Amino acid sequence: MPAVEMHAVSKSYARRGRRPQQALDSLDLVVESGGVHGFLGPNGSGKTTTIRVLLGLIRPDAGDVRLLDRPVPDGLPQVIGSVGALVETPLFFPGFSGRRNLRLLAETAGVPRTRVEEVLETVDLQDRADDRFKGYSLGMKQRLGIAAALLKSPRLLILDEPSNGLDPAGIRDVRELIRRLGNDGSTTVLLSSHLLAEIEQVADQVSIMARGRCIASGPVHEVLSGRSSGDVRVRVPDRAAAAAVLAAAGFTVTPTADVLVVSGVPAPGEITRVLAQHGHYLEELTPVAADLESAFLALTAEPA
Amino acid sequence: MSAVRTAAPPPAPAGRFGGLLRAEAHRFVARRFIQVLLLLAALGWVTATVIGLTQFASTTPERLAAAQQQLQEEVELSNEFREQCLASTDVPADAAPDEFCGPPVTAADLDLDWYLDPAPFSLASAGTAGAVAFGAAGAVLAFLVGATFVGAEWSSRSMVALLFWETRRPRVLGAKTAVVAVASAVLGVVAHGAWLATAGLWQVVAGDGAALPDGFWSELLATGGRGVLLTTLIGLLGFGLTNLVRNTGAALGVGFVYFAVLETAVRAVRPAWQPWLLTDNAAALVLPDGLTLYTGFDPVTGVSTEYLLGNLQAGVFLAVVAAVVLTVGTVLFTRRDLH
Repeated sequence: MPAVEMHAVSKSYARRGRRPQQALDSLDLVVESGGVHGFLGPNGSGKTTTIRVLLGLIRPDAGDVRLLDRPVPDGLPQVIGSVGALVETPLFFPGFSGRRNLRLLAETAGVPRTRVEEVLETVDLQDRADDRFKGYSLGMKQRLGIAAALLKSPRLLILDEPSNGLDPAGIRDVRELIRRLGNDGSTTVLLSSHLLAEIEQVADQVSIMARGRCIASGPVHEVLSGRSSGDVRVRVPDRAAAAAVLAAAGFTVTPTADVLVVSGVPAPGEITRVLAQHGHYLEELTPVAADLESAFLALTAEPA
Repeated sequence: MSAVRTAAPPPAPAGRFGGLLRAEAHRFVARRFIQVLLLLAALGWVTATVIGLTQFASTTPERLAAAQQQLQEEVELSNEFREQCLASTDVPADAAPDEFCGPPVTAADLDLDWYLDPAPFSLASAGTAGAVAFGAAGAVLAFLVGATFVGAEWSSRSMVALLFWETRRPRVLGAKTAVVAVASAVLGVVAHGAWLATAGLWQVVAGDGAALPDGFWSELLATGGRGVLLTTLIGLLGFGLTNLVRNTGAALGVGFVYFAVLETAVRAVRPAWQPWLLTDNAAALVLPDGLTLYTGFDPVTGVSTEYLLGNLQAGVFLAVVAAVVLTVGTVLFTRRDLH
């Protein structure tokens, strides 16, 4: 059962004196249960609108939305107790302490108070839990937001830019936490982030948004290999001779200090065959894949 | 960060309404600005009580004798003026002397309290008026409390955060409305309790010692009950108005423009519309016999048109206004996209 299903979801915002802004354009998105699902897209691509639609904060103009197999918004009350969310900046009473803010939320959901202490410990905020929220640093606010999202022991955890404002150690801790949650087998994490490295490090699956549509989705490595550069790195004992053989066979070869880079290769196996026929045996044959950033930029580039 | 619990619970529904209600009550009680408002109100009450103690003094035989003598001198002086009036030639021929110069003045025409400075406090005559005043003060306080409670929710955007926990928006607003209604009613009860405490203290320390008339306590209780109703309705009105505009400052601005500009203009230009004004209805709800409004004047006949705004009519009107404002706010809140 997918944790999230969205089919043909559209949403536009009215703008005074201008054409409506199309935030979501027949969006199809499926997030399978378990693991960490990265949600990438440039600013204005519709990521946050998508999350708000999932949480019932925004009503779509068209399309079907299901969360944990329940229709949104009508079925949301039946599953909201299993959904934790941190959307953009954490929203708390500035005059209340972190602990009091969490306790009030726990009371709302019927979560025992002991869980408040557990999540405060999870995000390392026990020592500052009695300080007022307005006195927190951006990173502490973000950690409290994550703690609130974890209060319900959620089956689906939706995190929108959770690393915002965190110092490097905090970012590392959040990534470890997300990774752990993704690995526990019972939690699905939908991680929206503009930090490509973050998605690359922690996500199993990725969906890339652009102009209100999901333009690529799947396992991170598949999305990457689907955007392969077409170059292949070749390591052989006799580079000069191998380069000559490959050039004679019609390949474009660029020697580097320790490898040969063969460009425009439709099938890397052809290189193996040509070199073996001439008595050159491979030490390495590696497709040069684009990194996520390249893939992301290529996928989300504005059409000409 | 340390390990987290990894149990996989089945899909869990939102919390029960009771939990939401308790959380709202705790949130209400913990709000600093509400605490400050209530503290200021308590300080105002103490100050008024102390000032009252300096303005009243109980009677002694010496003060009574002096006042009696002063009253007698006033009676004699008035009758001297009357005699001079009757003796003068200014009395028109077609007017009776008593009509022109007035009847003889007796001690019964003057109130002894007028010659007691400071006068004693009279629970019998001021009890109901004080209850009306404290009811009005409680209503103003309830308006501010109701407005700031939901205004803070919008300004901190914790209203949106709550929807991550309870997605049924009418429930969220319903819990807040219930808390404001109960809190406003309690505020009304406390306001009337405060008046009784003040009046009791004044009566003991600086009272006139006069016996209370028949029906005094029942009328005071009825006035207090209507005052509690007013406080509740006005608290809900403040809450509903602020929820509509989603900002405490804007709600207070709207309130100021309404009371200072719109009501003044209506009284000046369209006095016949006065029965539809909030302040007149608020006054009519609490005052023992309602409020008599002068809604028109015929310059030819010189006759004023009076309109008696009764307790029941005023209460129904205010309840309908509060219900409409709350309903519109709830409908908009349910339909709005929240960012």
